[in-house]
Amino acid sequence: MMRNDPIKHVFIWPAVLVVLAISIFPLIYSLTTSFLSYRLIPPIPPRVVWLGNYATLLQEPRFWNALFTTTLIALIAVGLQYAIGFGVALALNARVPGERLFRVALLLPMLLAPVAVALVARMIFNPTMGPLNQFLSKFGLVNLPFLTNGHWALACIIAVEVWQWTPFIILMMLAGLQTLPEDVYEAAELENASAWQQFWGITFPMMLPISAAVVFIRLIESYKIMDTVFVMTGGGPGVDTETLTLFAYQEGFKKFNLGYTSALSFLFLIAITIIGVTYVALLRPHLEKRR
Amino acid sequence: MLRRTFLMLTTSLAMACAASQANAVCSPDYTGVTLTVASQTGPYIASALKLGADEWAKKTCGKVNVVEFPWSELYPKIATSLTASDATFDLVSFAPAWLPDFVPYLSEMPKEMQSGKDWDDIEPAYRERLMVWEGKIYSQSMDGDVHTYTYRTDLFSDPKEKDAFKAKYGYDLAPPKTWKQYLDIAEFFQRPDKGLWGTAEAFRRGGQQFWFFFSHAAAYTNNPNYPGAMFFDPETMDAQINNPGWVKGLEEYIRASKLGPPNALNFSFGEVNAAVAGGQVAESIGWGDTGVIAADPKQSKISGKVGSAMLPGSDEIWNAKTKKWDKFPSVLPGPFMAFGGWQIAVPKAGKNQKAAWDFVKTLTSPEVSGQAAITGGSGVNPYRKSHTANLQLWSKIFSPEEAKQYLGAQSDSINAKNVALDMRLPGYFSYTEVVEIELGKALAGQTTPQAALDAMAKEWNRLTDEFGRAKQLAAYRAAMGLPPKN
Repeated sequence: MMRNDPIKHVFIWPAVLVVLAISIFPLIYSLTTSFLSYRLIPPIPPRVVWLGNYATLLQEPRFWNALFTTTLIALIAVGLQYAIGFGVALALNARVPGERLFRVALLLPMLLAPVAVALVARMIFNPTMGPLNQFLSKFGLVNLPFLTNGHWALACIIAVEVWQWTPFIILMMLAGLQTLPEDVYEAAELENASAWQQFWGITFPMMLPISAAVVFIRLIESYKIMDTVFVMTGGGPGVDTETLTLFAYQEGFKKFNLGYTSALSFLFLIAITIIGVTYVALLRPHLEKRR
Repeated sequence: MLRRTFLMLTTSLAMACAASQANAVCSPDYTGVTLTVASQTGPYIASALKLGADEWAKKTCGKVNVVEFPWSELYPKIATSLTASDATFDLVSFAPAWLPDFVPYLSEMPKEMQSGKDWDDIEPAYRERLMVWEGKIYSQSMDGDVHTYTYRTDLFSDPKEKDAFKAKYGYDLAPPKTWKQYLDIAEFFQRPDKGLWGTAEAFRRGGQQFWFFFSHAAAYTNNPNYPGAMFFDPETMDAQINNPGWVKGLEEYIRASKLGPPNALNFSFGEVNAAVAGGQVAESIGWGDTGVIAADPKQSKISGKVGSAMLPGSDEIWNAKTKKWDKFPSVLPGPFMAFGGWQIAVPKAGKNQKAAWDFVKTLTSPEVSGQAAITGGSGVNPYRKSHTANLQLWSKIFSPEEAKQYLGAQSDSINAKNVALDMRLPGYFSYTEVVEIELGKALAGQTTPQAALDAMAKEWNRLTDEFGRAKQLAAYRAAMGLPPKN
């Protein structure tokens, strides 16, 4: 087949059309809707408001609160997941006895549905009937308001996130650790480098590219947190634990405020893009040093 | 050849006989028809629908497929299906408050169903008010919902408790007539060291919380001198939710939250029932399910000790017109038709509308619905006169005294002259969402009751303007049973 053979179009265009149909067109439709005042219930005819929805959202304290809450959950949860996950991966890589059993057991939380995890967590954190409070009451800590106080509720959500998603970090980091060359460590041993020096001088820098990728994936995923919050607190008390996705869900699927929700989705996209770009820009000098 | 013809004839005759027999059993015959009903996740309501489905299947040979969705998902699922005009559901079960949003997509109830013995048996509060929208019937009540008061008779009849209570508060321990008395009783029985708390109500966002708040406020805002002005001024559609009556209601609701079990702020109605049936609280308010569950020895520790009464009231009610408190010669009970009872309707887009309405007839017949009403966990509370009149029916779960009190509370509440109707308005979720958010803040002490209510009123007025004030006013007046404004 020649490079300019028109037959190539027969093979290319169906794929292009499918991509357009399932990805680009909905995105364009959603962008168009974001410039409209458009409610499905009660039915209000669409009216062009241009950037009106965006302006309203940017002046809406609830939006900023949701952005702050989501960022807080994402940063703290991913930070803890990375620290714990890397530590556990190092331990598993050191060939501890029963390593295989640990590896399987530690991966289990990741395989569970977030809704199921959240339901179990809600029971565990129940102040009167939950086992956690029963245990803590033996130390004089009676009926802690785990899910009814804003700060406690956020901490509980973060704890559940860390419990469920640290295994992902363990899995990825362990895979990375197992690809590191042995000879570098042998050379370090000959130089009498301590375990701590080996970690900071060899392991951490060599694991930086995979760390960057893993943290980036988790960060983006954490910004999309919805089911855990929905089940555990419903965004409450008040809006103390309301995340961006939950806010969008309330507006879109409870109030059917389609224009506003579309604008919210695009602001969410912009926020994620800014975070992603900033993250990559901050890490780039360190990553390029490794090349 | 002759033999073969004879055989064929005999077979045909036998088949015809069998078919006619089947038709006689299936009346009307809906063999091959499968109806799909949207319901909230069981057992509440879904189990009642399944009970009706079994009866309908026996009667008509048709099938009913009950599709269950979690409560929080039900509205979006139904709304999406209706607005898309698809035929996913032949029937939808829903909250009366959603009716204004769904009306454009629902078929009207057949005229023949709107008369007769079974029709007249439905309590007028449902038949003439909740089932009606702009003079037409689009749905049928399949459950009756009014908030009532539940208490532990063993505590209330204990002479020691009675003496101690009188010594402390200066009046007899009895089901409260006012909300102040309700809070006194809760305070009196607040004994965490003994595993006993005062009261249980729903306070959780998304956990039917705001209906409990509305029940408190109804006593101070549903003024018979200016009917229909509980939520909005029926002349101007200005939000009333921040008037002094509502402030008093909210202050007392917050006070009740502090007189419940430690986890009360996370209580939805399910937890309220568990606390009552577990004997954790001395009193409670809520739907009729509480009394039925508490009476069931399989589910309850206080079976045989369940008392019921109407909700407390007030002798002072805020008048939204004069902007003053109206004083009444005696305490007016404040029953509130919280939620109002599940409705079932047939979408216009449905392909089996005749069969669907026939299923509604069976489901809501006095016999089938009566059975559902006495089944704990069915979610069906009395909505027919025959439900509350038939004491024998209730003797299966209640003692005679319990039954008398329970049915008396239900019947008196529904038929009270001053019974407050729940809000039904297009864009209902938009209105109640802000209530839930601000209630959460007020309950957590992050804002004052007045500030929380001011925020609600501001958002309600903004929403009313956005949806069209005249349109919303007309809808509100229709929901409150007021004539259209000229």
